[in-house]
Amino acid sequence: MSKAPRRVAITGLGVVSPWGSDVDGFFDRLLAGQSAIRHYTTDDGHLSMSMPAVHCPEFDAAREVGRASAAMDRSAQMSFAASSQAWRQSGLPISEQPDRGAAVYWGTALAGTLTYEQGYREMLLKGRERVPPLSLILGMNNAAASHLAIHFRLGGPCLTYTIACASAAAAIGEAWQAIRDGRCRMALTGGADSPMSLAVVRAWEALRVLAPLGERGAEAACRPFSSDRAGLVLAEGAAALVLEDWEHARARGAEILAELAGYGSTCDASHLVKPSADGQYDAMNQALANAALAPADIDYLNAHGTATREGDPIEIEAVRRLYGAHAAGLAVSATKSMHGHLMGATGATEAVVCVQALRRNAIPPTAHLERLEPACEGVEHIRGHGVERTIRACMSNSFAFGGSNSVLVIRQPSGD
Amino acid sequence: MDALTLIRDFVCSHSEIDREKVVPEAVLAEVGIDSLMLLEVMFEYEEKTGVKLPEDLPTPVTVQDLIDQLDRLAPGSAS
Repeated sequence: MSKAPRRVAITGLGVVSPWGSDVDGFFDRLLAGQSAIRHYTTDDGHLSMSMPAVHCPEFDAAREVGRASAAMDRSAQMSFAASSQAWRQSGLPISEQPDRGAAVYWGTALAGTLTYEQGYREMLLKGRERVPPLSLILGMNNAAASHLAIHFRLGGPCLTYTIACASAAAAIGEAWQAIRDGRCRMALTGGADSPMSLAVVRAWEALRVLAPLGERGAEAACRPFSSDRAGLVLAEGAAALVLEDWEHARARGAEILAELAGYGSTCDASHLVKPSADGQYDAMNQALANAALAPADIDYLNAHGTATREGDPIEIEAVRRLYGAHAAGLAVSATKSMHGHLMGATGATEAVVCVQALRRNAIPPTAHLERLEPACEGVEHIRGHGVERTIRACMSNSFAFGGSNSVLVIRQPSGD
Repeated sequence: MDALTLIRDFVCSHSEIDREKVVPEAVLAEVGIDSLMLLEVMFEYEEKTGVKLPEDLPTPVTVQDLIDQLDRLAPGSAS
């Protein structure tokens, strides 16, 4: 006879954001409808970058990570800083020996792209024949997860998920599944990316999906669901969550911030970049079913909402189909309009937004949404400024190039 | 720059270990210079001095072992 699935508590949160490494401050800015998007420029001749983007100028690796940051890529430094906040909030001790019941499930799309690009620059532009020995260790995709496992003595599975823009949501969901099945007792999960390498930016530009500066300036460059939306905005940052077996968290008297209640994972299996409403619908439906919730139980949807011409209407089509009669009253926002698209980290950042929405009973808006795209009608778009609202449960969507769809359902930590 | 200063600077920029603990008799691994970090120290030395270290150097155990190796290969060294 199989054991009953375990419930999963969220007991710690952390972020590295453009407004600093502070979850409450980050969420306050979002509630106020403030955009962190700025005109990002580099001065490098014909290799210069100039675009709307979200950078974290206040992030100080030496202060937030310490000297060990010298052996980390920027995305790993951000991973470490966000995780340290989440761990502190959880109140968990660091064990002396590796804890086999404790895991790392991390997400990143681009990991050490800055390290690799630095190597290319040294060789191709400066004529050097070699790169520092640490380059491989800094740049490998699982570098961040390994640093976290070593520092926090997490001796269970140490896994890195890289499925483009759904990476962190998948990492969180797979951690949920592992705890739910009893394969581990707790997990440090989330994601990070620092994507502003020239090669990555040029590749995104070539796809013609990056938002231009436009007449309204950088701050308003990302306008999900708007009839004049013009593309996505690259962002760097990190977010972390501590997940625990519910009974473990209760037994040690931890404050349970929210319950991670459901996860859905599908692949469109149809096209590398064109999203499918069918695949998204099925992922959302799975997440609801796993959470044993009905559409009417969800009070807020943090949409994937990247502000691409093609993506936004397809997501809303899938949402309308799933939520049916409840769709018109479902509060929806795309916070990428303010914090940008953190690539592999975006699912973790938006999961943190959802937990904060539950804790504060407040919903952040989609910024700069003045003229709603007719094809995106049919849900309650929260626009301009945040609203106070009783929230029982949230859904967070993350959809990726490659067709991967990862959906999380997070609810109030009620009941025993 | 002498070899001890280079080693101390490296340790201070890569770990929380105090500079004064990096003394000649200290074991390299105990001041944060494991096999991986040793490669990075050697790379820094080569970059700063222009000296190419041979591939077959014996693995040093203490800070003094490393100082001796680097000093023997330094520009102007008799050996």
